[in-house]
Amino acid sequence: MKSIKRGERLTKFLIAVFLIGMCILVFKVVSEASFYMEHSGNVSLGCVYDRDGNVLYDPNATAETYGADYFVDVGNLIGDESGMMDNTLVSENMNLLENYDPIFGVMENGKSAVYTTLDHDANRTVYNAFGSYDGTAIAYNYETGEILVCVSKPNINILNYGDVESLPSGSMICKAFNPVTPGSTQKVSTLAAAIEQMGFDAVAEKRYSCAGVYYNNYGNQIDCHNLYGHGTQDIFTAFQNSCNPYFAQLVQEMKLDDLIETYKDMGYSVNGSKAPNLEVDDIKVFRGSAELEDVNEFDTQWGCMGQSRTEVSPCQLMMWQSAIANRSNSVTKPYLISYTHNMFGDERNHARTKYESAGFSADTAAYIREVMLANGKNRYNGVIGYPVGVKSGTAQVENGASEDSLLVGFVDDTAFPIAFCVVIEDNAAGAMSADSIVAIMLRAIQQ
Amino acid sequence: MFHNKLRYGNISILVLLTHLVMLAAVLFRGNYEDIRDIVPLTIAVFSLDIVYMIVIRFFYKQMTYTTDYLLLLILNCSVIFQSCFGGIGFASKHYITCVAALVCCQIMFLLTRNHLRVLAMKQYLYLVLGALILAILFLTGSRSMWINIGPISIQPSEFMKPVFVLLCATSIMEQHPKKKVLMFHVSREMIALTIAFFVIFVLQWWCRDLGSLPTFAAAYGCAILCRICYPKAKFSKGTLLFLCALGVCAVAMLAAAAPGYVQARLSVDIWEDTYGDGWQQCQALMAIAEGALFGKGPGYGKLIQVPAADTDIVFSTICEEWGFFVALLIIFFVVSLLILPMINKPRSYFHATMVMGVAAVFIVQMGLNIFGSCNLIPFTGVTIPFISQGGSSMVVCGMLTGMLKAGQSPVFRRPDVQRQLNAQRRKEGAA
Repeated sequence: MKSIKRGERLTKFLIAVFLIGMCILVFKVVSEASFYMEHSGNVSLGCVYDRDGNVLYDPNATAETYGADYFVDVGNLIGDESGMMDNTLVSENMNLLENYDPIFGVMENGKSAVYTTLDHDANRTVYNAFGSYDGTAIAYNYETGEILVCVSKPNINILNYGDVESLPSGSMICKAFNPVTPGSTQKVSTLAAAIEQMGFDAVAEKRYSCAGVYYNNYGNQIDCHNLYGHGTQDIFTAFQNSCNPYFAQLVQEMKLDDLIETYKDMGYSVNGSKAPNLEVDDIKVFRGSAELEDVNEFDTQWGCMGQSRTEVSPCQLMMWQSAIANRSNSVTKPYLISYTHNMFGDERNHARTKYESAGFSADTAAYIREVMLANGKNRYNGVIGYPVGVKSGTAQVENGASEDSLLVGFVDDTAFPIAFCVVIEDNAAGAMSADSIVAIMLRAIQQ
Repeated sequence: MFHNKLRYGNISILVLLTHLVMLAAVLFRGNYEDIRDIVPLTIAVFSLDIVYMIVIRFFYKQMTYTTDYLLLLILNCSVIFQSCFGGIGFASKHYITCVAALVCCQIMFLLTRNHLRVLAMKQYLYLVLGALILAILFLTGSRSMWINIGPISIQPSEFMKPVFVLLCATSIMEQHPKKKVLMFHVSREMIALTIAFFVIFVLQWWCRDLGSLPTFAAAYGCAILCRICYPKAKFSKGTLLFLCALGVCAVAMLAAAAPGYVQARLSVDIWEDTYGDGWQQCQALMAIAEGALFGKGPGYGKLIQVPAADTDIVFSTICEEWGFFVALLIIFFVVSLLILPMINKPRSYFHATMVMGVAAVFIVQMGLNIFGSCNLIPFTGVTIPFISQGGSSMVVCGMLTGMLKAGQSPVFRRPDVQRQLNAQRRKEGAA
């Protein structure tokens, strides 16, 4: 009898293993059904709308129904279902657009839709403002995290890709989420690291002189954009002058380990370390990377001024502005999807404001805010037309053959809490100014 | 019915009602042009239900009839499924194999319900196994498992399964004298069984039918486990662990030595190779998702256009047309067949071991098919018992179910006594 029971127990064990496997299968199917449907050609997709209900993506769109260039300002951000581009809102959120439900299956005329935070009119205005220049502009509400404008030029017309091979470089990626050389906008991060390490009072007391050229401890030459020099400056004037020799000397006085630690806390990949992931509604966003090996050495100093091998994404530059503007130790995480409709038309997935560590303290943020506001007040408020805290930058790219203009900052107005970052590519002549783009962008958002 | 307190009338109505509901689903949700398309299927299903219910009621007595009814329920569900794939019709070939399965179930039940008779025929089991192996070697094509006779294809290796399960059961049903081989005390029966398994293994490998190997391995593994623990565990836990480790190493070595197409299936990322090695599984998973909980409707499936839609990935085909819920339900019915012997418990060690072997075969086959097609494990070409199309497979499943029945309605008379009793009855009848 005992032996019979042993056989029975073995049978029970086999059945139990099988049933556990079936449970895993059920879980797998339920959790991955939307993913399977992404590969299926038998499901219709819904539309993507902006904050005012304007269409940003329609799977049935034609040039006749919308106009030939209707989607051109959001092509590489919103994308489409064709698979030509990845890391776009549509490609990364197909499950939200599918007229599909794991219980009821496919619905031919479903009401699935994604409602974004974007302002299409403002977006198109900013896109047009770039004129013949390429670059990117991104702006968001630094209190809620809603992305209002996100433009990247050159862009793609999803209604007519044309010959993909002959498209200009960068057409199929949204540059706001990809690495750029930050130029002097990097001095915001370096200042944050200096204040974290030395304290604001100590930094405020620092006085360094600039003669146009500075030779560091190893004898390397650091050039200032002002060949005649800025003379002796404190942090406020050096920040406004974007003085390279000042910041080279500041970096030289910092401890390498502390510098690295602050950079890492801010999200940088330092010397090849892994940076924490950053995603905006499943769109992957590059954070930042830098090579910091010796505070006395040229490349490290130059890297702390946004050159050498330092790279940051405009989105990340904008995010730090939220912490500074809010005088907080946390940044407001940006998002594009405000809410969605399922295939029955029910509202789902309402966005919530989320935060993450800024990598520096609230006091540091408050100090930087003062420095940036002073810069804005003295140089930019008049041009931009809003009370802003800003930092400009000029990034030498392609081994110095080309220069990009950058401007990052925030509006100091609780009724209009906007943080932004603008990059204009190949703007060595300065014919197009980043502050004018910012002015147009802010006005367009406010309308 | 006997043990489970299920009455003949009630259970008959239950089976008929289930098939009625399914046919109603075909009527109201099915993909057909003319209502007359459903008529042959309806007549066939209800005819089989009624004829079989009458036959098993009056043909001979059993201690329980639940397995019969469950089998009938599953088989006619299977006929309805197979008749609806890609459009409503009537799967006549599948219907015939289902009838054959029911007949084979009864024959196997009669053959195996008396364990003493099986034991007396033990040497013939080896002969049958030998004959099947020779048939595979000489009657099939080059490195194939199929014998083609006109329009009919037979897979002899399928028939090895019930024979092997019976060999396992007869080899461990009682204590045998043991010899020490290396560190193990083993009986002659176990050596013979091991050789038989090894021969089957080599043959399957040679024929590149690796999908069936786990089925035999499961039956053999269960038998070995019972043998070494009979009447109580003779090995230390260390030895058992060593044996398990040895088994794992053997599997790993076999995986490394497997043919290229097998290795490709072991390592393929199906979503990276949706038009290559991952084609069937991707299509199967998409079909499950498209079917959702309630399915697209009988006959509206598209998966039937994918090779092996009615055999190797039949679970997904059912999911697509009938929904995930119905597919799970039918699998639950098949599993219930294996649970029944735990309610109507076997009364001998032979029957307990036989039931265990059948359960191992069914479970492994279902697991390989369902989990393989859904990408939980590497994909193999085996069938789901009773659900997949396939003559040999269906007949063998019927035979194995007969063995399950035998485990629940055993006879314990010695064969010679039984013969005398039969002769006496004949004399009385003649008089």
